[in-house]
Amino acid sequence: MDMRKSRSESGASPLDGGSGRHHDWDSKRRRKMAEISQALSVTPVDVATLRRMAISEGGLLSDEIRRKVWPKLLNVQMDNLPEKPGEELRVNNKDYNQVLLDVRRSLRRFPPGMPDEQREGLQEELIDIILHVLQRNPQLHYYQGYHDIVVTFLLVVGERLATILVEKLSTHHLRDFMDPTMDNTKHILNYLMPIIDRVNPEVHDFMQQAEVGTIFALSWLITWFGHVLSDFRHVVRLYDFFLACHPLMPIYFAAVIVLYREEEVLECECDMASVHHLLSQIPQDLPYELLISRAGDLFVQFPPSELAREAAAQQEERTAASTFKDFELASTQQRPDTVLRRRRKEQVVAGREPGAVPKVAAGVVAVVRPRARRFVRLAVMGLTVALGAAALAVVNTALEWAPKLDLQLFP
Amino acid sequence: MESSVELSSSLPPPRSRIFKIIVIGDSGVGKTCLTYRFCAGKFPDKTEATIGVDFREKVIEIDGEKIKVQLWDTAGQERFRKSMVQHYYRNVHAIVFVYDITNAVSFQSLPAWIEECRQHSLGQDVPRILVGNKCDLRGAARVSTDVAQKFADSHSMPLFETSAKSPGDNDHVEAIFMTVAHKLKSQKPLALSQPPSGDGTVPLKKPTEDRGGYSCSC
Repeated sequence: MDMRKSRSESGASPLDGGSGRHHDWDSKRRRKMAEISQALSVTPVDVATLRRMAISEGGLLSDEIRRKVWPKLLNVQMDNLPEKPGEELRVNNKDYNQVLLDVRRSLRRFPPGMPDEQREGLQEELIDIILHVLQRNPQLHYYQGYHDIVVTFLLVVGERLATILVEKLSTHHLRDFMDPTMDNTKHILNYLMPIIDRVNPEVHDFMQQAEVGTIFALSWLITWFGHVLSDFRHVVRLYDFFLACHPLMPIYFAAVIVLYREEEVLECECDMASVHHLLSQIPQDLPYELLISRAGDLFVQFPPSELAREAAAQQEERTAASTFKDFELASTQQRPDTVLRRRRKEQVVAGREPGAVPKVAAGVVAVVRPRARRFVRLAVMGLTVALGAAALAVVNTALEWAPKLDLQLFP
Repeated sequence: MESSVELSSSLPPPRSRIFKIIVIGDSGVGKTCLTYRFCAGKFPDKTEATIGVDFREKVIEIDGEKIKVQLWDTAGQERFRKSMVQHYYRNVHAIVFVYDITNAVSFQSLPAWIEECRQHSLGQDVPRILVGNKCDLRGAARVSTDVAQKFADSHSMPLFETSAKSPGDNDHVEAIFMTVAHKLKSQKPLALSQPPSGDGTVPLKKPTEDRGGYSCSC
């Protein structure tokens, strides 16, 4: 299993800066590793810090660290690893044929240069993990793309640990994708356009006029970008981020990618095919750290509870987000974003420059009521600076953003 | 829907015609390979499961007219087509049904696919063809040409058996899609206008008499 080691442990700066910056990154990296070790060594484990590490620049740095931290982020106990499944797993399984078909042709998910024999062994393990989770959770339904997520866990943590991590993930983050139908998945996609609208109404209107829909982002969402990114290091970096965040974070990240490409989008011919084609071809050289931080900012400024009504209006059904309520990773962190809930749309419109990329400070100014809330604004910005904007997105519980939190936070 | 009046004030100049063709069928029958073969001219070395809908296009020339052929390659798994893919059935000019000649189930699924199209108000007016793929595996065939031809006849579709993989069939895949394009071009422009709406009750406007029938050139 040596291939796991070398995959995503490059010591290079995520900023790809010059040598001076490289040196900076080396010392930052060392500091970060120490902080992670510290958070892992205390009892109980300091999950809040691990979350922050997973979100902040560089993520969890190496697969060795991921093997220790991912289970904590998912609140999984490692003392009860499943036994190797037997042959009976593949008999009479309604999804077996589809899983087999999808896994057999998922060659691109494995490191180039891996010997066929090794890859084939891993593919068999991949099939076993998927079938094992499905068998133990008959309420879950396999979807094409699920295998793209599972393979990432397999390559990083190995078969046995991957099985329990994936099981937990499937009953939580991925739960909506695994319903009998994709109605909830569609509903989650409905969050995309409202987010884009808040930041850049021009791009939003252009996409609406093109009637492009949101299916271009479907594979991004339901594979956590595992299906569309060719560099495995980028995939695991995103998984660090998503594992530490609210289950809807991937849709914020999708919005950030679209917004990052605003110029290309607006220059595109305004029809469904052209825009779908442009957006579905994801550039491979995206500045991931920047986009992660922006996605975190957007989540804080426009939390799901804010967008829920608009998203629901896009199709007349109400669904999805409520299923996240039972998410077990309740964080004890404060939620400065709750104070932002009351901003009115007009204020946003007045406060944003057309075409501008959102900066967290500007966004916060725009969304807070001018006078009465000024003290709140300062408090939020203080936290932003202290934690790094994206870390605010750590507010990962989907528990209702109860009004009383405002009082607790700012009595 | 948001209004976007200000954006539509300056319409672009008339462009080359676009033929929008949707490719459907069970998972693993080779929809991606067929569309890739037509648009890129070669068999892709690695294809993966299609998630949602992929888009490919190719500009062809018929009688001196440049025409853009857009192929919408859809996911085969049933759950995708139930709630995801219907957006892409809109304004479709032709439908390509694909099955795998070595996989009887993929052939037995065809009535469900046809019904699916019917529900999206894509009726007899929209040209449809049936493609039996993977002919390079003739030895492992599970669907005979006779049976497939009968089925195609009963639904008034031409049948093509081909292989997206076999080099000998390079021109064949091209010919199949070109046949569809010729058929579309020969229709009155009216036939290429959009269906009135997607409520499923208004039938496609029938163009004037459909001349020439369907010429299957392969």
